[in-house]
Amino acid sequence: MAPAFPSGDDRADFGTGGHRQFSFHDIVLRNRLTALVVDGVDFCRLVEQGFLRSCGLETQGVNNGDAAVELIASGAKFDLIIIDMFLPVMDGLETTRRIRALGERCKIVGVSAYIGENDREAFLAAGGDVFSEKPVSPEVLIPILRELDGQYSNI
Amino acid sequence: MEVVQIQRRLVDYTKSLFMEGFLDGQFLQLQQLQDESNPDFVVEVVSLFFDDSEKLLNELTIALDQPNVDFKKVDGHVHQLKGSSSSIGAQRVKNVCIAFRNFCEVQNIEGCLTCLQQVKQEYYLVKNKLETLFRLEQQIVASGGSIPMIEMGF
Repeated sequence: MAPAFPSGDDRADFGTGGHRQFSFHDIVLRNRLTALVVDGVDFCRLVEQGFLRSCGLETQGVNNGDAAVELIASGAKFDLIIIDMFLPVMDGLETTRRIRALGERCKIVGVSAYIGENDREAFLAAGGDVFSEKPVSPEVLIPILRELDGQYSNI
Repeated sequence: MEVVQIQRRLVDYTKSLFMEGFLDGQFLQLQQLQDESNPDFVVEVVSLFFDDSEKLLNELTIALDQPNVDFKKVDGHVHQLKGSSSSIGAQRVKNVCIAFRNFCEVQNIEGCLTCLQQVKQEYYLVKNKLETLFRLEQQIVASGGSIPMIEMGF
């Protein structure tokens, strides 16, 4: 790991009021968690999967809703599914509905570039659990991962 | 130029990009994902962002040039551009997308055209800045140095 550059200027406050920014390195999972990322944009999917992996999850990614539904229908199990609302062909809402219709009870996080109250309500009504602005931040994700990790530890 | 001097330039340059709002915390998160097992992660992701954005900007130009503008289509492209620029941390591009969407919603063609111009400008600016950043990193690595981690003191 490269050493921090030794300079007095390095600790400049960038206007976040001195609050420490959450990092994806802040979490240590005790259990093996798996996640599916459903995002039509390749590099966005890379970024989302990258974050999840850095938290210690095993991840898979698909670029459309049909593939996600097929995967679940074929018996693949995930602790967490992250779905972009703006997918090609079948949108995120319909994908969520179909996954729930298969009986899948795992945590589903919906992400969108725009997060209006109507969008949130529609997502929750479709069976989603958490609705977040894109890109999903450590502040949103880490508590969810801790909860999922805790569920296994409590068995 | 000595490695230490290039490293200092890189640190100062990176900080200026944050100070001027070109990049936000999301970019820092991306840098943290880069390690020995994934040494080119940021460059790869950003390159894909460039390809994706240029496609979107072309499509937006075409869509807004039609005699009967399909605002739903325009909104779709802006939606995607906002999502992808946010995912990279390209803050100024993202901010223009917010205004852009508002004009789409009220079907204001003039506003949309102005935003298109602005978003292109911001996109090319950040592209230029990131390419400069990567060039500095390459110079450091080529000189046998290591890329300094910027501590932002958040």
